[in-house]
Amino acid sequence: MVKLLKYAALTIILAVMVFPLLWMFRVSLMPPTGGLSLGAFFTPIFTLGIYYDIFTSGNMLRYFFNSALIGVIVTAGNILFCFMVGYALSRYRFIGRSFWFYSLVFVLMIPAHIIIIPLYMTIHHLGLYDTYGALILPFLVNPIGVFLVKQYIDSLPSAVEEAARMDGAGELRILIGIVMPLCKPALAVLAIQVFLTNWNSFLFPFILTSSEAVRTLPVGLALYQGHQAIDWPHLMAGSSLAVIPVLLIFLFFQQHIVSGITAGAIKQ
Amino acid sequence: MTTRKFTGLLFASPWIASFLLFWLFPLLYSLVLGFTDYRLMAPDYQWVGLDNFTALFSDQAFLSSLFHTFIFVLGTIPVTTVVALALALLVERQFPGRTVFRSGFFMPSITSMIVIALVFTNLYSRGGYIYLLAEMLGLTPPENGFLLSNSTALISIMAMDVWMSVGYYMLLFLAGLKSIPMELYEAAEVAGAGTWRKFRSITIPLLKPVALFILVINTIKSFQVFVEIFVMTKGKYGTSTAVYFIYETGLNRFEFGYASAAAYVLFIIIAIFSLAQFRLFRQRSVW
Repeated sequence: MVKLLKYAALTIILAVMVFPLLWMFRVSLMPPTGGLSLGAFFTPIFTLGIYYDIFTSGNMLRYFFNSALIGVIVTAGNILFCFMVGYALSRYRFIGRSFWFYSLVFVLMIPAHIIIIPLYMTIHHLGLYDTYGALILPFLVNPIGVFLVKQYIDSLPSAVEEAARMDGAGELRILIGIVMPLCKPALAVLAIQVFLTNWNSFLFPFILTSSEAVRTLPVGLALYQGHQAIDWPHLMAGSSLAVIPVLLIFLFFQQHIVSGITAGAIKQ
Repeated sequence: MTTRKFTGLLFASPWIASFLLFWLFPLLYSLVLGFTDYRLMAPDYQWVGLDNFTALFSDQAFLSSLFHTFIFVLGTIPVTTVVALALALLVERQFPGRTVFRSGFFMPSITSMIVIALVFTNLYSRGGYIYLLAEMLGLTPPENGFLLSNSTALISIMAMDVWMSVGYYMLLFLAGLKSIPMELYEAAEVAGAGTWRKFRSITIPLLKPVALFILVINTIKSFQVFVEIFVMTKGKYGTSTAVYFIYETGLNRFEFGYASAAAYVLFIIIAIFSLAQFRLFRQRSVW
């Protein structure tokens, strides 16, 4: 009886949690003409007409491509740079090491949204406004990623590196050839976290660009509703494009996502 | 040895460059700007001392944006935390279908905020499903939908925010629950403790570190609420928040000096809240 009640409660909660996304997919599968009528959710007509529309006209596909390109570059950059920096902080004693370490802590604790004005101006001064560079360069090294890698390398024995060094291997070879392969688990977690964050990111792409050519999908969606009356089916098809990659990543890498989230919370 | 020192610096250089260029410089820049009347339309700016700050505290728009932000923070965080803990307790033990429920609860929190805000804009509007549900329950929702009314707009956005983020904090609580040693519960059972007693005397105290972590990150996040406001109400109907004010002032009216001052005020408020939470929890910590 208690068990039955528990399942009933869980099912109701689950319905509440997934309904909005189901609604989004449902609306995106409406016929292209006719708009959105009351009770449309329950009509048994499904078509891909709207997807055909947004793939053949308008800028939605362009936004999708921009998001994907920027996401891949930023993720690749973070894998390389967070790894390099994490390795340096873990294994080397260099000038200002603790200062740079605390600068990471400092940035982690700063509410990112308060720098929108100065970052906007800095990007302008650098001549990067409204370019891919504005959406890539500031986001190539993320402090959480550096911590993740540093902690992981701290837990690895340094004997292998020392042995390689004795054998005359250069520092770069040790970094890329020996330590990096050992860090694969941490780097996988890092990559997925960075990609998801970047894919969903809105505020910075929104304030640092203005033209449609470099616009990302979330920005495109947010500004789409500006035109005339809201065309819900098309807007929801575009939204589905933003959600489907996330769902796929979630499906295949759930464990990585979970350990990325909990890594920060549970520290020994 | 000196080459190794140099190599370390070289490997750390991506962060050093990134920190100086995209964090330290902008932060110092805006600190300076906060004491000027710099705006896009009049680029030859002047020092105005603390004028921006005194103006802010008599600026009705800024004060009400702070007020809305406080309502948002104080209203969502307790609810989110309690619901997240309840969900975590519900799916903690192994049972058939557990993964499905856990994944379903978590799903909204990795979905784009823009998409969620768009979907709820429809659901909350007149004739949307939440509107219809409210009518079915015998309530009388505002005539033009929940988002176009001063009395319901902010609380509707807050409810959506709770809905979206509980899954994320549930995962953190689950990790916390997992780290509690089973032996403690077994020992308590031997001593004759009931379910409630075990929950109060073992689970709650041992979850404190995770709860603190959740409170701090949620506080920092919630004080910066912006995207949902931008999409759903454009700051109208009593929903303008502090970051929305900063965005409006700085990037719509291009009053860079004034907006920078507002950003620093918000920064200081967030810092005070985070520190207060740390102190509060330190007092009777299990560590």
